[in-house]
Amino acid sequence: MAGLRGGAVTFRTKLLFISSLTVAGAVALVTGAVSISTRRAFDAIDRERRQALLTQFRDELAARSSEVARRVELAASSRGVQQIAAGAAEYDHAQTEAAAAALDFLDVVELDLTIISSAHWPARFGYKNDWQIAPDDWRTSDVFLARIPTPEGSVMALTAVRPVAGGKALIAGGRRLSPELLKSLGVAPGMRALLWLPPGEIIGAEGPVADPQKLASLIQDVRTTNGEATGTVQWTADRASSEAFLAMPITRAGTLTGVLLAGTSLSTQLGLERSILRTGLVVGASGIVIGVLLGWWTTEKITRPVERLAAGARAVAGGDLSARVEVLSRDEIGELARAFNRMTEQLLEQRDRAIQAERVAAWRELARRLAHELKNPLFPLQITIENLQRSRDSVEFDEIFRESTTTLLAELGNLKTIIGRFSDFAKMPAPQFEMVDINEIVRGVIKLNFQAERTGVKPVLELANEDTRIQADPDQLRRAFGNLVLNALDAMSDGGTLRVRTVLHDPGVRLEVSDSGQGLTEEECQRLFTPYYTTKQHGTGLGLAIVQSVVSDHHGKISVSSASGGGTTFTIDLPAAQPDPLTPTGEIA
Amino acid sequence: MGRTALRWIAAGNAILALAVALEAARRPRYGGELRVEMRAAVASLDPSAVSEDPVALGAQRQWMPLVFETLIRLDNQGHPQPWLATSWTHDAEHKAWIFPVRKNIKLHDGSTWSPAGGSITISDDRPIEQILRELAGARSAVVVKAEDGTLLGTGPFRVARWDAGKSATLVAHGRYWGGRPFLDSISIQMGRSLADQASDFQIGKADAVEIAARDLRAPKQRGTTIANTPPMDTLALQFDGGRIPAPVRQALALSIDRASIHNVLLQKQGEISGALLPKWLTGYSFLFPAERDLPRAKQLVPSPQSLTFGYERQDAAIRPIAERIAVNASEAGITLRQATGTADVRLVRLPVTAGDPWLALQDLTAVLKAAPLSPAASPYEAEKALVESSGVIPLFHLPRGWMLSSKVKNWPHFEDVWLDSGAAQ
Repeated sequence: MAGLRGGAVTFRTKLLFISSLTVAGAVALVTGAVSISTRRAFDAIDRERRQALLTQFRDELAARSSEVARRVELAASSRGVQQIAAGAAEYDHAQTEAAAAALDFLDVVELDLTIISSAHWPARFGYKNDWQIAPDDWRTSDVFLARIPTPEGSVMALTAVRPVAGGKALIAGGRRLSPELLKSLGVAPGMRALLWLPPGEIIGAEGPVADPQKLASLIQDVRTTNGEATGTVQWTADRASSEAFLAMPITRAGTLTGVLLAGTSLSTQLGLERSILRTGLVVGASGIVIGVLLGWWTTEKITRPVERLAAGARAVAGGDLSARVEVLSRDEIGELARAFNRMTEQLLEQRDRAIQAERVAAWRELARRLAHELKNPLFPLQITIENLQRSRDSVEFDEIFRESTTTLLAELGNLKTIIGRFSDFAKMPAPQFEMVDINEIVRGVIKLNFQAERTGVKPVLELANEDTRIQADPDQLRRAFGNLVLNALDAMSDGGTLRVRTVLHDPGVRLEVSDSGQGLTEEECQRLFTPYYTTKQHGTGLGLAIVQSVVSDHHGKISVSSASGGGTTFTIDLPAAQPDPLTPTGEIA
Repeated sequence: MGRTALRWIAAGNAILALAVALEAARRPRYGGELRVEMRAAVASLDPSAVSEDPVALGAQRQWMPLVFETLIRLDNQGHPQPWLATSWTHDAEHKAWIFPVRKNIKLHDGSTWSPAGGSITISDDRPIEQILRELAGARSAVVVKAEDGTLLGTGPFRVARWDAGKSATLVAHGRYWGGRPFLDSISIQMGRSLADQASDFQIGKADAVEIAARDLRAPKQRGTTIANTPPMDTLALQFDGGRIPAPVRQALALSIDRASIHNVLLQKQGEISGALLPKWLTGYSFLFPAERDLPRAKQLVPSPQSLTFGYERQDAAIRPIAERIAVNASEAGITLRQATGTADVRLVRLPVTAGDPWLALQDLTAVLKAAPLSPAASPYEAEKALVESSGVIPLFHLPRGWMLSSKVKNWPHFEDVWLDSGAAQ
């Protein structure tokens, strides 16, 4: 994943993240601050506008009330209404009088409220007037809100009552609280005035308000406090439909007869907030992009040298001490690169010196070993030759000569053997691969080495039941395995158990040879495969080197584990098939 | 002769001249076109056609005799009188009837209509005393189909132009057996609302227009000539099929305050009735109950009911009555919601199309789509059965009123109507 290396977040990513976060945070902070201040400013302005609208609304209602009173009085004094009251007019003549007085509702009633003529519902002549007018209101000169039944349902109206025909009848007239009243307020764009009328009707300039129950809680607040209340209503799922309301009660004799509501659409405010948010997002996104680019450029300047240093370090760790880092600047990173380069140069010099010293040590060891190996047969040779010189005149010369020549030949044979071993190691032949059963090799070597009774060493074979055939050189394998067995037997001079185990191990077979000897130290384990290194009194130090060489030629792996006093285990992993000869991959753990 | 005698002679001459002039003014004159407007939209004058629209049917039955005539006609008392037939005879068992036909009856195309033998014989296996009544019905009018398919009649007017439902022109039949009518032609505008008719009458575009019964008083007070028929229309509530339960129908009938409507809305014109046919035609209409019984209506409708209610909104005479009925019904717990098109109950005008109860009931049966009348039943029994089977609620019988210009004379007998061109407009 980008930004991840080996599962860890890269420094560059962190740097980018921090820079982006900083830019975004700053933009969010500014955007939030602007939004909050904008909202507060809008709220303050809206409150003032709503208050002004309610005041205008109240004044308009008062003016309409006066107008209704005037019109009802006009109708009451008309000749037509007098004729109606006297029973000298058509049953629906009130319609004519209502039209003349520009009244929406007009009932001429007898004192017992029996309708003589009704303008808005002529068919109700002879019935009792059932406007929701309190008994006292039939004698008042006030204008009040009353609910008036009509064929289409009841409506609220500004209503006034006046006597006619010298008090022999009454006229009740009114004008509908129509949307026109609210339209006439000339509210500013984004605002509207509503009128709630009991029991639950709400009208606006466009007619009845849909979903009036959304204002129920606000109306309830007004009812409870009998004072102004504010609230916000969201009409649809879209927040832009939100509307803030200021509600003011209309009361008569302590009874709530209506509620004026001044609403301000929050769509403009929300739109502006959205615009600010959108701008903030755009600026933030742009800032993030710019931050990313700048961060990228910056981190490129910072992390590229660091990455090169890391790559150099990985190369050094991989053994490439020639790795160098390009010095691109004179700052701390540049100084770090220079220090790295100095370090690798010193490491290279140290390694060369170590190799040189090791090589010298190896030659010394080889010389010491050769001297040691050759010195042993040379000393008998010298003694024998000196004996021959001293006994030249002896009568027993012939006997001594025969014995001396025999000894010389024997010691020369030893010299030849020693030289042959060194020669063999120098001339390890290339393996000839064929299908070989490891188990058979193991059995053969064990059988060969345990033909004669060996006191105290017990071989234990734990051979795999599966097919353990692999592609290998059987002679070299026998030799390598034989060396390991001999090595183990040497380690168990006082007896013990030789445990040999084969198991299938992807992609081939694993061979384990364990002894129960004294074990090896850690240093011995590290140097065990070094040619001519031996822990034995009379070893050449070539046995395990040959084993390692064979395993390597078979593209296998050999390792050793040992615990002091707990024996030693050699583990060889050999592949089932040999790879392309051009790509040998043998390794030592 | 003395001066006094000369003065008397001069005065006598003047009186004589005035009398002659007055006599001349009263004498019918030939010529002129009578312009008539009406609400009904009559599709055809074909006597065999029975319009589903009661108003149109009533108009058709009113105008059809001007074009198509019957052998027999009923007089104002409902007695059969010879018309195209000069007389009739029958056998003792009333199974065979012979109707000698007038001579020289001319069809509208000028040809002579003369049945073989100069008479028409009708016979049956059973006695057919009712044949005279049936022959007086519109459906028994003499109609001859011309080669081009035109329907030819024998009446005083022929159809010169017919735009179905909109307008028509009837032209005088010059060779009418009863003598040419005075009018040259009658122009009829159909489908005109009462308001439009009144307007046309005011500006002189029409000579005869309809007027609602409740509005008769005012024009009469202004001096306008009003022709008022006996109650010829029955206002009734007609239910849409049998969907509405009988108790609801009965409760609605009992909830209606007919008296208030008659006194106030109809200005006491016409008569309150629970019968389909008016009293003048049958004499038994009082047998059909028409009183309001609101407590009983409420008992019949224990839970509120809501019905759709339709009426002809263009009919200014009907609308206030419908509104009042809705108010009355609401007291009984029945809400009548105004509806256009199909409605549970409709306020309709049912025409009295004939001067004979049987003939009128036959047309009403067709209009109400009710089962045929039983020939054996009396008119009362037949009408009672028709009211019950159709579920109709008769309310009022209303006269048909006409406003006539002052030049229209001898209304409503169209054969004798003439126009006084010297009369003030």
